[in-house]
Amino acid sequence: MSTSPSPIPLPTAREWLLWLIRRRLRMRVTGESMQPILMPGDLVLVDRRAYTADLPKPGDVVVAHHPHQKNLTIIKRVVAVSEDERLDLRSENSRAGSDSRQFGLIPRRLLIGRVTSRIPPP
Amino acid sequence: MLFKAISKFAHQLDAPEVSAHCDGPCGVYDPASARIAAEAVLSMTKKILALQPPSAGDSAAWASYLNTLSRYVAIKEEQAHLAKSELLVLWTDYFKPVHLEQYPDLHTTFWNAAKLCSACKVEVSLEHANELMEAIENIHNIFWATKNRDVTYYTAS
Repeated sequence: MSTSPSPIPLPTAREWLLWLIRRRLRMRVTGESMQPILMPGDLVLVDRRAYTADLPKPGDVVVAHHPHQKNLTIIKRVVAVSEDERLDLRSENSRAGSDSRQFGLIPRRLLIGRVTSRIPPP
Repeated sequence: MLFKAISKFAHQLDAPEVSAHCDGPCGVYDPASARIAAEAVLSMTKKILALQPPSAGDSAAWASYLNTLSRYVAIKEEQAHLAKSELLVLWTDYFKPVHLEQYPDLHTTFWNAAKLCSACKVEVSLEHANELMEAIENIHNIFWATKNRDVTYYTAS
């Protein structure tokens, strides 16, 4: 994998504030495909406005709708953005996940937001 | 300290789930399902070979014999087909290019195992049924090695 696993930061005071004013969505991680940077049971804060103007950058951890399974929301790392603005999403733990190697590049419109911070269980 | 309290509070609230699951919603793979089907094939093959035809003229015994034989054959064919399906799912859905680098003969392994399923379905061959079990044991070892887990192979019968 070309991207090295950079950890997701804990929420700063600013992040907590943005959550309080509902600018961050709180979501709970299930499954192991994003280990070691995310564990099952972790909470993440998601910025839903991150990609209204900008495209994701390689290395961003994003939440998106699964391209083939309705009602399934997935969390993956962006490894590349193609010229036609489609995204190559990969599991952190490449042995354990379905990602763009199976479902192909996903269109930008399926993105929900960017993961800004991680809240491990207390 | 304050952040810890907020974190704890944040964890107590419900949150929508986001999946980092292996293979979408479930991702549960285990060569055991193929092994169970292959064991049924082996068992039915042995039972068919051991079945003694009744003496000529005993129509009730013949009806019973043919009924039992047909059931053994039907189950053998069904389970051989199931074993093949389970193997194909593992091969095409679980295994990824990275595994092929580690096990260059992976395709041949699965191809031969799938062909053994077909042979066991068509024939009454104890030899092929045993070979199928060996092939699945080999796949079991490869599968769990790719998951870095030490899972002992076992059979139900």
